[in-house]
Amino acid sequence: MTALIDARTIPNGQVLTPDLAIVGGGPAGISLALALKDSRISIVLLEAGSTSFDPEIQKMYTGAETGVPYAALDAGRLRALGGGTNHWGGWCRPMDAIDFEAKPWMAHSGWPFGRAALEPYYARAQALVEAGPWIYDQKGDVMAGATGPVLPLGDGGLYTSWFQFSKTRDSVLPTQFGQRYGDDLRAAKNVTPYVHANVTGIRLAANGASVDHLDIATLNGKHFAVKPRMTVLAAGAMENARLMLASTDVVSAGVGNQNDLVGRFFADNPIPRDVATLVSFAGPLAAFYGSNQTLNDGAIMRATFAPTSAFRRKAQVAGSLSTVEPAVDLDETGKAAVVTTALALGVNAANAQAYSLGCGMELSPDPDRRLTVTGEKDALGLPRLKLDMRIADEDFDRFRRTLTELGRQLLASRIGLLRINCKDRQDWMKRMDWGHHHLGTTRMHADPKQGVVDADGLVHGIANLYVAGSGVFPSYSASNPTLNLVALTLRLGDHLKKVMA
Amino acid sequence: MAAVVAAAAAATAGLYRFTDLFVKHYAPTPYDDLLMRLTDRGEAAKLGARMKGSFDLASQSARLRDTFRKQDLVAATHADIAAGRLVEVGGWVLPETVVLLSALASRV
Repeated sequence: MTALIDARTIPNGQVLTPDLAIVGGGPAGISLALALKDSRISIVLLEAGSTSFDPEIQKMYTGAETGVPYAALDAGRLRALGGGTNHWGGWCRPMDAIDFEAKPWMAHSGWPFGRAALEPYYARAQALVEAGPWIYDQKGDVMAGATGPVLPLGDGGLYTSWFQFSKTRDSVLPTQFGQRYGDDLRAAKNVTPYVHANVTGIRLAANGASVDHLDIATLNGKHFAVKPRMTVLAAGAMENARLMLASTDVVSAGVGNQNDLVGRFFADNPIPRDVATLVSFAGPLAAFYGSNQTLNDGAIMRATFAPTSAFRRKAQVAGSLSTVEPAVDLDETGKAAVVTTALALGVNAANAQAYSLGCGMELSPDPDRRLTVTGEKDALGLPRLKLDMRIADEDFDRFRRTLTELGRQLLASRIGLLRINCKDRQDWMKRMDWGHHHLGTTRMHADPKQGVVDADGLVHGIANLYVAGSGVFPSYSASNPTLNLVALTLRLGDHLKKVMA
Repeated sequence: MAAVVAAAAAATAGLYRFTDLFVKHYAPTPYDDLLMRLTDRGEAAKLGARMKGSFDLASQSARLRDTFRKQDLVAATHADIAAGRLVEVGGWVLPETVVLLSALASRV
């Protein structure tokens, strides 16, 4: 079994010459290495962090921000083997087919391929994230087995969809890729995993058309190089962009940035809290609305309200996933609304129960929601990032239309009613939280003028540089990205097997 | 004799008010034919008081009467929902007829 190699022990000036360099040991990098293990491709996996969290290493991620308040740039990611999976919540849901479509009401939306291109990879991705059997929306008897009231929404713009969760072992967090797959990486004969290996530069050949080598540095002062046939950046949407923008020795705008696109279209999933109050006339809801429930087959599931594709097209709304949160008390107006409306509907609401409603939203792609590099440098001389964070009013308006439709459906089904708690932008922003799902920055598009990478993840204009992970998502979906980025990475693995054969 | 009648009248009035504990009594209004459709007029009035904007009693009551010539409150409520005639009151997404009746209850 190969040990994890501490890059701090590599002699200065050494040059490693693998077939493939994978930059980043998070879910994308590890999934790709696992997909290619036991192939004839020799791989070095370069993780900048250690095998566990180190606050000094984490400081490499700090940066500046402007625009709407957002999480600190070092808060939503982890510079350690396993990357973001060291602190993820395990929420999984495949993207919907409409998420891949170019939507006329949402500028810059659409992928260069449909969901069918990812279908062959979802089962393996589901296995890697350890989310149990593939059920999601395909099992009708989850609600039938409920022990409490359910909310049959009937016909309308929203339906009850399902999250599944990465397996929780006892009270331990969901699958952490570094811990879970570290031994598999070490056991793979063709994979050499390094820790403390910071890529500080992507050095292009003189003609700018290929990567010549990667500069590697360690925090104890070692410098060496990796000269691979192919390179895959899998360091996360922020760090991939930083490396590309910071590597300016051949192309002054940065690697792959000849069309000024690297760093643009950054996105996250806003998760404003307590966006609405949902009343169930029949009383306390079945447990799977408000918390994860484990089924007999081991799947861990939770209900969510999702807009149908037909409603998204008709009402021109984005993706969203609304979840039932803790029970709340109603004020006098709320009680009056429940009593008066229930009586008008001919429904008994004597046991009515109110809940807070949370959500995950999809943002519209915005080229000005952008990462740039600043003059400030980190400990290894790499420029730090600055994020200009934005949310369009239209994004809130779209989700508000979705909530209004949910309210209409609750009334139409005579099962409850809804209060929307946000009137204006100020209301939304004061409830704002973030999924820490870093998306965009190296978006995928067949046209080099509209995307940094092509449909295979290959950086336009560079013959041997790929990008993996959710940074290539050209539009985002409301579904949590990990399952989807792992599936996309497995697809990249198949592609690399072909082109590197 | 007059004193006895007055005392009896006072006792009756008191007894009548006492029953407010069980069934709220309201002074007669020109809109009782509409308000009688509300099972709990007091709660409706609380809701209606949150409705913002102008509310023209004459035109809105005429509109409600027109609605109830064709159907009862339950049917009118369902018709509103089916047609998407929803109004937000304090953020609550509610059928229009319920809101109009509640606003009427709060303003008479």
